[in-house]
Amino acid sequence: MSEPVAPPEPTASPPGSTKTGPGRVLVAVYALFALSASARAAVQIATKFGHAPVAYLLSAFAAVVYIIATVTLAVGSPTARRIAVLSCSVELAGVLAVGTWSLADPATFPDATVWSSYGSGYGFVPLVLPVFGLLWLSRWSRRARTRRPTVTSAESASQTAGVGVDHGEGN
Amino acid sequence: MPSVNGAVPTTIIVAGLALAGYALLTTARNRRMGVGLLAGLGILEILLLVEDGLIAARLASGPHPAGLATLIGYLIAMPIVPVAAAFWGLLERSRWGAAVVAVAGLVAPVLMVRLHQIWPVIRV
Repeated sequence: MSEPVAPPEPTASPPGSTKTGPGRVLVAVYALFALSASARAAVQIATKFGHAPVAYLLSAFAAVVYIIATVTLAVGSPTARRIAVLSCSVELAGVLAVGTWSLADPATFPDATVWSSYGSGYGFVPLVLPVFGLLWLSRWSRRARTRRPTVTSAESASQTAGVGVDHGEGN
Repeated sequence: MPSVNGAVPTTIIVAGLALAGYALLTTARNRRMGVGLLAGLGILEILLLVEDGLIAARLASGPHPAGLATLIGYLIAMPIVPVAAAFWGLLERSRWGAAVVAVAGLVAPVLMVRLHQIWPVIRV
């Protein structure tokens, strides 16, 4: 499911918003996860909450995050983009934290959540999705910055320098 | 992962994967969704509705699975997937509309496997 998110070519895409172009694929996949995660969490909490309360509450939390990400990506205004960045970040942190937690302490998770084992039950899409979401959103914030002509050259220069520094930290 | 037996689910899996492949090819060639992909979505829709009908008939005539609510949710959601993808493909007149169709094609086999997990008697 990760194939559609290919490196976008800046000149080819028409002026639009986070919901157009590759964003359609993101919104579609996010909508799918929002729907399935919330439906699953609702059924689990309604029918057998005592069986695995931590897992089901985390499922419900994941569902809320997916819904927020879907809506904000589909709206695409500057404020919505900021909220989308936040929800994608929470999602990435959540899948990493809950993934590790579920492997380290399987007893707390007698039933799986969306984020258990880094989303392996969902083809690792929960792990990949926020990364593509953040990449897509960062492209939009960069585009918004470059629209201001006076700061373009200075900012792009400092950005390039920043990227160079980042490379040194990777291990 | 448990296998999915039965002619209709198998056909849906093959059709979904074929549609996804065709749609990804369309995306790779930088084409928008055309009549071919729409027809493919139509075939997938018909197959999913047939599967829905077969499961509903089995639910009406015999015992119910433990996860009845989940199963009914799947029965409702399944036919919506190709329709939503078709609308998305018509809305996004670029290669990315075709990419959404690819997502729908890949979702269909997942739905079949999940149906079998929810109710193992679904071989139909």
